[in-house]
Amino acid sequence: MNKSATAIFLLALLAAAPAAAEHDLFLCAAINKNYVIGSKLVTPNGLFRRLADGTFEHFGLNFPGILNFSTDPRDGRVFYMATLNGCVLTSDGGKTWRIGTSWDMTEPKDVCVDPGAPDHIYLALPDGIAVSPDRGATWPRRETGLPDRGKYTQTIEVDRTKAGRVLAGCESGIYLTEDGAQTWRRVFPAKATVDDIQQSPHDPKLWLAVTQSDGAQLSRDGGLTWDMIAGVPADQALYNAAFDRTNPQRLAIASWVHGVLVSEDGGRTWTARNPGLPDQHVFKVGIDPDNGRLYASLHQNFISVSDDFGRTWRNAGLEGSTVYNFVFVPKAAK
Amino acid sequence: MKTHFLLLSCLATAPAASLLAQPAFEGPAPSTAFVARPELRRAAYYQRIDEVLAWRVGQLKPTDALLPDMGAIAAKLARHEDADLCSRSVIAQMKEPGSGPFWMFPVVSVAFLGRDQLSPEARQAIRTAWSSGMQLRGDTENHWAMYYTSLYLMAELYPNEPGTSWYTGKSSAENLAEARGYLIHWMDLATTIGQGEFTCSHYIGEYAIPMLFLSSWAQDPAMRQRGHLMLDWLFADQFANSLNGVLHGANARTDDVAVIERWNCLSSFFSWLLLGNTPPPAGYGGWGVYFAAAAKNYELPEVIYRIGVDRDQDFLQRDLKRTRRRWRNSDVFMAPIYKQNYTRRDYAVGSYQGGMSDPIQTHIWDVTWAVPDPRGKHNTMFSMNPVSAAFDMQTYFTEFPDHMMQGVTREGKASYDSADKLLGGSRFEQVFQDHDTVIALYDIPPGTRFPHVNGFFSKDLVNLTVDPSGWIFAQGGNTYLAYRPLAGYELLPVAAIKSSFTGERIPSGDQRLYSPHLKNGTIVQAASADEFKDFAAFKAAIIALPLTFSLEPVPTVKLKTLRGREVVVTYGSAPVVDGSAVDYSKWKLFEGPYLNAEKGSRKLTLTHGRLQRVLDFNTLTITDSVTP
Repeated sequence: MNKSATAIFLLALLAAAPAAAEHDLFLCAAINKNYVIGSKLVTPNGLFRRLADGTFEHFGLNFPGILNFSTDPRDGRVFYMATLNGCVLTSDGGKTWRIGTSWDMTEPKDVCVDPGAPDHIYLALPDGIAVSPDRGATWPRRETGLPDRGKYTQTIEVDRTKAGRVLAGCESGIYLTEDGAQTWRRVFPAKATVDDIQQSPHDPKLWLAVTQSDGAQLSRDGGLTWDMIAGVPADQALYNAAFDRTNPQRLAIASWVHGVLVSEDGGRTWTARNPGLPDQHVFKVGIDPDNGRLYASLHQNFISVSDDFGRTWRNAGLEGSTVYNFVFVPKAAK
Repeated sequence: MKTHFLLLSCLATAPAASLLAQPAFEGPAPSTAFVARPELRRAAYYQRIDEVLAWRVGQLKPTDALLPDMGAIAAKLARHEDADLCSRSVIAQMKEPGSGPFWMFPVVSVAFLGRDQLSPEARQAIRTAWSSGMQLRGDTENHWAMYYTSLYLMAELYPNEPGTSWYTGKSSAENLAEARGYLIHWMDLATTIGQGEFTCSHYIGEYAIPMLFLSSWAQDPAMRQRGHLMLDWLFADQFANSLNGVLHGANARTDDVAVIERWNCLSSFFSWLLLGNTPPPAGYGGWGVYFAAAAKNYELPEVIYRIGVDRDQDFLQRDLKRTRRRWRNSDVFMAPIYKQNYTRRDYAVGSYQGGMSDPIQTHIWDVTWAVPDPRGKHNTMFSMNPVSAAFDMQTYFTEFPDHMMQGVTREGKASYDSADKLLGGSRFEQVFQDHDTVIALYDIPPGTRFPHVNGFFSKDLVNLTVDPSGWIFAQGGNTYLAYRPLAGYELLPVAAIKSSFTGERIPSGDQRLYSPHLKNGTIVQAASADEFKDFAAFKAAIIALPLTFSLEPVPTVKLKTLRGREVVVTYGSAPVVDGSAVDYSKWKLFEGPYLNAEKGSRKLTLTHGRLQRVLDFNTLTITDSVTP
């Protein structure tokens, strides 16, 4: 190969190479099919990060009860995990840990740092909501406006455009606070638990929620009002939802019964994209914000990934895992 | 009052000939008679403790280089044997720590039993294991009792250490405060509105063992006293619900095996060890070794012993309990359980008002009859609705709905999603009990998974007779039983679950009454055989009882019981007895001849004859008195 040919080849390679990833992918996952509490952990569980070759590497605690985590945008070494034992936090990237909460808070399902006020961390609890105002040092409950019963909280998401504006998915509906959880008000009544709420990366007024008995709901006014998405089945629980940062028309939903549901027209029509998956029991989906790659976690199976938004799938590893959440973290936060 | 003096010679028959044998499990059933002399009871208790420990170390091969598990190490340490071997074994075990309360409390037992025996290196290995891997706290009250007792004791054992040296990231003082806070909270609940996991066939161990450890090893005298009070409280309740040492219903939690072979559970280990009146289960119930290893620190109070063993009259005990935490699908966080048991020499009838105290392992009611040797006997009768539902699971678990059904069957609850299961409660069952009469009514919504009633008819019944009147008659031991199904049924053979973990089934010889009707009900009346001239007289008396019932729009029964009480029971309404509606809100925490406590009192009075013991959590005192 002569010099000019070599130069052309290198230029072609550079052109074909994907843009540098702006996000790291972390998984909250467990590989514990036959695990019962008390037994020795013979498989890795907890946090995994995606390596450059697309494989996943375990790091930090080997702990099967890590369900979600959220990072401090000022310092990626500071993060908070929703775990079976409460909220576990680290300030050194996982070298040391502390269970931030006490015995009176158990099994949080979600945790979210307020990007506009990152000392404030919101915690979704089976019996309500707690907010730490001091980077996890203390965890007062903030439940004014929540019902005495019906405040099981599965998901909590901070509006990235306004500090202290938060949506919580509870058993009895979606609740909104605009004052840092001093008060909550219900903006959507649900028959059963709201499982996930996501804010569009394209339009901060656009929110997508999925539920156990009320199908998928879309809000175009920042969560004040909600409309059922007609094309999404409401007969079975929907577990989570994801927006595609690379394409505003693309959305995905995970369902144990219906598998992976996708829309490529902004939510007007929906299609199940399951052929190629090992089974249809989809626990969670995630969409890579850098390239639109669609991930699906099947319960106690390998992770599946699709480069064509679910038309074809391939095995992305982590055999036997259940991914509780795909978490994409901006590299700038590291 | 019957009195029996255990022969001293019995005490000499300690585990001798074969170290592998389980003398009490394999030998003749022990006498159920009362032993009056405390020194004999004490000596027999020590003998039984020694039997457990001897059996446990007898399992080891002389060629074993290391002890295989914490139970073996605990037994060795309790016997003050082979400290060097124990130390080396601990070091090996601590290289791969477990992950939760079932690992933590065995290690605590070894840490404390070995304080003066283990090498510094072994003790350091234990300490290191508590600084690294995260321990799962679990999600049930028994998990938390084990977890926080363990954390409490270890934090006391290693005071003044920083958070970096504990898996929690919290200092010794912080761990101690958190653990103490939870334990006191749990004790407060149990002593004011009732226990959450009450009269459990197996989980009694998960409370009794931690409380024994707390009462044995806590440095804080207040916590040590709390452990002692709670241990007395638990055993008094457990033994008041046992018939000759065999725990009967109702149970917050039991399992597929013990729900029909009532004796075959860890509770029988405690009856054997502390009362001496029933054989222990195989392997001394598994966890039994951990209790035995510290059991000489505890002496069952005489009043509890007498409540368990020395009953000279029928008694009715009414208690207040509570459900497990309901995270959703409920108007209340913990619903009250109104539990009662009516116990006679020949049988016990126990129940609560229906619904689920636990999503999987609830056992709402039964009649359990006395047998000379309970091993292998299915000495019980009951009915239930075998519903399984994600709705129920989500009420009590913080999980998504769909995967739990298959998940629980792997965790020792093999039958959960089986139509023929005999274990579990139902939102669609309401139960009324008056002495030895039970009326269980069912109103099962269409579309319910397993929309039928299963009734249990034991292989050990005799004279099973389907009478044209609609009653089914049978005799179990010295107990006459009358069972009235309120809707059509067939009797099917039972393939009983041999292991709750594997789900392996075996034909048991029992029969299952299968009644596939949504509006349904069961009436059971029990009586002692010696109340009647013969079985025919019993049948005639039952058939003569005034009884009317209907199933639409909801099941309702009007019955004059064998004891002369006129009862009207309607699904969804308060039962009416002799014209008065039953007001459960007036029930006390304990009310009966033996156990009495006011709701909210934190104070339990145990009474037997002239003996009285008051367990007072307000003052942390135990007060014994004898009526002149």
